[in-house]
Amino acid sequence: MPPATDDLAVGEMLRRHGVSRRGFIKYCTSVASAMALPPWMGPAMAQQLHGALRPSVIYLSFQECTGCFESFTRSFAPTMENLIFNVISLDYDDTLMAAAGDAAESALAKAMHDNFGKYVLIIDGSVPTGAGGGYCTAGGKSAVDTLREAAKGSAAIICVGTCSSFGGIPFADPNPTDAWPVSAIVSGKPIINVSGCPPIPEVITGTMLQFVTTGKVPDLDEHLRPKAFFGTTIHDRCYRRPFYDQGKFAKTFDDEGARNGWCLYELGCKGPTTYNACATTKWNGGTSFPIESGHGCIGCSEPGFWDKGSLYAPLSAPDWGKAGESSPRQVMEIAAAGIGAGAVLGVVSAGSGRLRQYRSEHPLDTEPEDI
Amino acid sequence: MSRLSEIAVRVEGPTRVGGLGGGVQAVLSELVGMLEALASHGQCATIDLRSLPMSPHDRIELQSALGDGEVQANLTADGVSTLRETALCGVWWVEHRDHEGKLIAELIEVSTIPAILAASLIDVAASARTLRERLSVGRNGSERTDHATRN
Repeated sequence: MPPATDDLAVGEMLRRHGVSRRGFIKYCTSVASAMALPPWMGPAMAQQLHGALRPSVIYLSFQECTGCFESFTRSFAPTMENLIFNVISLDYDDTLMAAAGDAAESALAKAMHDNFGKYVLIIDGSVPTGAGGGYCTAGGKSAVDTLREAAKGSAAIICVGTCSSFGGIPFADPNPTDAWPVSAIVSGKPIINVSGCPPIPEVITGTMLQFVTTGKVPDLDEHLRPKAFFGTTIHDRCYRRPFYDQGKFAKTFDDEGARNGWCLYELGCKGPTTYNACATTKWNGGTSFPIESGHGCIGCSEPGFWDKGSLYAPLSAPDWGKAGESSPRQVMEIAAAGIGAGAVLGVVSAGSGRLRQYRSEHPLDTEPEDI
Repeated sequence: MSRLSEIAVRVEGPTRVGGLGGGVQAVLSELVGMLEALASHGQCATIDLRSLPMSPHDRIELQSALGDGEVQANLTADGVSTLRETALCGVWWVEHRDHEGKLIAELIEVSTIPAILAASLIDVAASARTLRERLSVGRNGSERTDHATRN
């Protein structure tokens, strides 16, 4: 009797679906390209994945608009269906799964039990803690309780979108639901933030694939984002950069400079301070990115982007960014991100006084002794 | 001016030196080093064209600078891939497309032959097994037919 598909290595699974070795190398090459990884990673990834078992993945959605999931479904390389059918075992996702109610909750409990310590937990949305967590509940449990429970048995947590990574829109003033990013709630687990409002589809699937391929947390920046995608600014890779260097700027959205494709810095483009892969990976299967459509970057993958000031104020404007920088929430956020980074590196520091104060006010930690 | 097509759009390229854009010159300079490494140490290398901030014009300019060589191979696996040697021996322009013909990866590979074209020894061994089994089934089938005829 042939082994169950859950027990098959990725290579064997693909072979059964008629995908040849060359086809698989080609697939991995395209994924590496989409992930902005070094070109040699494609064949290396193919070799590694060929013999690997498909890991269990649990996808939980909290306080969010489902825009991140919509983005996820539009990934071209790898496609979401290729990922979930061939590379991972998606054991719970309440947006996709046919089951509902008790059957869905049972599937979640079973997946967590059967794969304890090994599953990848994907979180979409911020975590509201106000009203005892009552602003977001499913199956009689609050998001914050579900997160704490699911985090315990996870091998790593991937936060998809700016809401789960940095709090996002719900976290912005006045934050009526007392929402927080995952890194403020969970400690002691590797956390990978894939920020963006929404993130680029290929960055979501690419980060998942990279973790699945290597079994390791990728190199992360100070906000726990994979450097492969968030290592350079939009400005660094922008095709309009030569105009910035030449001092050629559009002054309005319909002037001659705008029609000539000049730099949008003076129209509020946040490309110089925004780390993301929009200028290289692009959107809609590599078609274009907002600057190519004539609109500046709004910096949606950066912490506190919503509270920093007008999206159309240039970075050089006297008041831009002041609110975000001085916001106590952003200070907390940075401190909370530090906890996650420490957990990844295994060098959790004593933590800042501000974080201690936050934690004392919000007793949500799964492992308070780690602080 | 009532229609979108009537709005004049003119995209200027960056200042060019020696007739080539700065990005194209950088790629060509990198290729010199890669070709020297291949010739002296057999070291292969790849440039991912999609990782470079190149305009469509730069891409055409680069293709033109590299020219066309003698060899072109098509790979049909999950869509068609084209592997074309440029006029510079050892420099291959590789395009991978999906089932719908959409470009999913575009590379310049510096090697004697692109690695994806070579057959894997594991697959070669599997081919030998498959062929042996096929011949064995054919022989057994013939024996059974002979036996049935005699009876």
